[in-house]
Amino acid sequence: MKALVAVKRVVDYNVKVRAKADGSDVELNNVKMAINPFCEIAVEEAVRLKEAGTVSEVVVVSVGEKSSQEQIRTALALGADRGIHVEVEGRPEPLEIAKLLKGVVDKEQPQLVILGKQSIDGDNNQTGQMLGALANMGQGTFASEIKVDGDSLQVIREVDGGLQTLKLTLPAIVTTDLRLNEPRYASLPNIMKAKKKPLEVTNPAELGVEVKSHVTQLGVAPPPERAAGIKVEDVAQLVDKLKNEAKVIS
Amino acid sequence: MNLAKPPQAIAAALSALLGRERFLTDSQSLQHYGRDWTRFAAPAPSGVLLPNTIGEIQAIVGLARQNGVKLVPSGGRTGLSGGAMATNGELVLSLERVRKISPVNQAGRSVTCEAGAITAQIQQAAAKEGLMYPVDFASSGSSQIGGNIATNAGGIQVIRYGMTRDWVTGLKVVTGTGELLELNQGLIKNNTGLDFRHLFIGSEGILGVIVEATLALTDPPRNPRVMVLGVRSMAALMQVLASCQAQLSILAFEFFSDLALEKVTAEHSIQPPLQERYPFYALVEFESTSATAETRALEVVEACIAKGWVADAVLSQSESQRRSLWRLREDISETIAQWTPYKNDISTTVQQAPELLRSVDALVSQHYPDLEVVWYGHIGDGNLHLNILKPDGVSVGDFQDRCKGVSAHLFAAVQELRGSISAEHGVGLLKKEFLRFSRTESEIELMRGIKAQFDPDGIFNPGKVFDP
Ligand SMILES: Cc1cc2nc3c(=O)[nH]c(=O)nc-3n(C[C@H](O)[C@H](O)[C@H](O)COP(=O)(O)OP(=O)(O)OC[C@H]3O[C@@H](n4cnc5c(N)ncnc54)[C@H](O)[C@@H]3O)c2cc1C
Ligand SMILES: Cc1cc2nc3c(=O)[nH]c(=O)nc-3n(C[C@H](O)[C@H](O)[C@H](O)COP(=O)(O)OP(=O)(O)OC[C@H]3O[C@@H](n4cnc5c(N)ncnc54)[C@H](O)[C@@H]3O)c2cc1C
Repeated sequence: MKALVAVKRVVDYNVKVRAKADGSDVELNNVKMAINPFCEIAVEEAVRLKEAGTVSEVVVVSVGEKSSQEQIRTALALGADRGIHVEVEGRPEPLEIAKLLKGVVDKEQPQLVILGKQSIDGDNNQTGQMLGALANMGQGTFASEIKVDGDSLQVIREVDGGLQTLKLTLPAIVTTDLRLNEPRYASLPNIMKAKKKPLEVTNPAELGVEVKSHVTQLGVAPPPERAAGIKVEDVAQLVDKLKNEAKVIS
Repeated sequence: MNLAKPPQAIAAALSALLGRERFLTDSQSLQHYGRDWTRFAAPAPSGVLLPNTIGEIQAIVGLARQNGVKLVPSGGRTGLSGGAMATNGELVLSLERVRKISPVNQAGRSVTCEAGAITAQIQQAAAKEGLMYPVDFASSGSSQIGGNIATNAGGIQVIRYGMTRDWVTGLKVVTGTGELLELNQGLIKNNTGLDFRHLFIGSEGILGVIVEATLALTDPPRNPRVMVLGVRSMAALMQVLASCQAQLSILAFEFFSDLALEKVTAEHSIQPPLQERYPFYALVEFESTSATAETRALEVVEACIAKGWVADAVLSQSESQRRSLWRLREDISETIAQWTPYKNDISTTVQQAPELLRSVDALVSQHYPDLEVVWYGHIGDGNLHLNILKPDGVSVGDFQDRCKGVSAHLFAAVQELRGSISAEHGVGLLKKEFLRFSRTESEIELMRGIKAQFDPDGIFNPGKVFDP
């Protein structure tokens, strides 16, 4: 069966994100970009399913500007078979991304679609769910374990009080949580091979989708800076400050 | 513990100078300040001095000289050779309160700081201004710049940036006579006779105390990326080093053995970076400033694979991955600490490094076939860290005794290759009896003569590096 994996290009998890001076947006100039960590987990899971013989082909798709092809190449180096780049200017909203992915799903007819549960730039946690609705597929979100069993899929989800196990009929959608797997590093021989793997470029018009914007970002602001710490002289002073200044003990 | 008391006369004067809070004699402080990172000797200072100013340091030296009392200059006490140990009733002269960092000088690309400034804080001050102080290692969050200079510390990017020595453009020192010398004043060019600055760099506190330093700064590297390569032999490792150096803009070239990787991955429950296991791994960090730089790196490794030098390799795809790969190397020291390892820090010329490893390996398997040996180090600098792990059920004392027996053999092997018995960590107390394996008797005699010039009464760090 075919698996489709969505990956997003985002600011590297380890980069300290800064607001632009005018507060209009975050600073993206000369900032290191990488695959969204949850998407990386999605790629890893699909590749493992392929290695186990459950999945026959892993197709990776990214919606975004031309530079998103770097992240597709990384996914190909991790073991995906071919890539699809849906070229879009700017930053489309989750609903628009979901519609474009629906276009790709219609074309590719995958049995399994794996996405990250959220991307660390927008923190929206919407795309997988919206795609489920648009494509009329069952969904297992926040997956910490998945198992394909004939024409159904068992998904263990991390929910508030513990774990929930679901059975989904294929085709289905999975969104990944942090503990689903530990992604591998891209090996150099595979990075070389990835350069030769097919990467098809398409656009909203070809997929029959009109990209619209419904939300306008008014501004971004950094969290308030923390005041510098102080050194207390002794335990008595510490207790006093905790009681009377911080008011965390009584 | 044998608690020595400071002589009455000087105790009164020191109390008057520093007050009770900055002249400590309680047993907890004596223990704490009396030793460095090593644990092989018992600390026994007679007091701890915490001056606030250079003036106070000069006054202390004057008092010590008058009263014939010895001083141990003390930094962050992360040293690995016992250089900052006070074992014999000395006064510990701690620099921890003399730690001001002046504003970074943008035009001169330099920063002046007092000797007690923490290394990492200097790095942060430089980073805030878009510059970098590039000497870095796992203990930089605790070590002081004065200690770094006194040990001429190296670290993980020596192959690119050199040792501490290469970044010191000015020093203020107080010698054994209490005189304050200003050495080289931050000048880049100053050919006016003998440059004493370089005598104080690496002096381990035996000539006097460093009180202030001016450091050169540089640009931070652009887009650093890390590769970890699986390598089948040391000889192959050196071929890989040569290829990388010729064709890439290298920032670091480190290595570790499979046992090191096994310990670290088990300790932190992480996956090894490569699918299979290999005897050695190289960690290569390089600047990837463009797509061509990345392609060149891939081609270099591909060629190494074709030649059979490299079996498999991975390349970091994100900053998170770069950091995770570095941890495989940087966590080794801390991970193996639980086996109270017998540590050695030896070096040779880069081209002779495999030979050194071979002869030391032969020695260890001859004398200690039953023990686990972890290798890692700054192989791009010809610097190997040898660590023999203590087996369960053997006492630390018995184990150390047994290992000491091999030191003489080990250092003889180093001597044969005309290498160094202490590449980065200095001599201090720990390596003193082995100094002659790297330095001749006449050199050591010259060192005594130089010490006598700066410290005529022998009050600074007596018994360290060489016997009086
Ligand atoms: C986990 C770990 C990793 C390490 N990695 C490295 C590494 O990669 N490379 C490396 O080179 N070292 C390394 N070290 C060793 C150590 O951190 C360095 O030698 C460091 O430079 C010592 O600085 P310190 O301030 O702690 O000095 P201390 O230990 O306090 O003193 C070291 C010596 O310098 C003298 N001294 C200290 N301050 C002054 C002063 N102001 N004036 C005159 N003399 C002074 C002392 O008397 C002593 O002889 C490591 C240590 C640890 C614990
Ligand atoms: C046209 C011109 C341009 C110059 N430009 C520069 C410049 O840009 N930068 C610069 O730094 N200098 C410059 N110089 C000065 C000079 O060339 C340098 O100082 C050079 O390094 C001297 O080398 P030398 O072999 O001629 O030494 P000499 O003049 O022979 O000796 C210089 C000193 O070194 C000692 N000495 C020589 N050989 C040894 C040895 N083997 N062991 C111990 N001591 C030794 C001598 O006793 C003497 O004290 C210039 C000179 C000229 C004429």
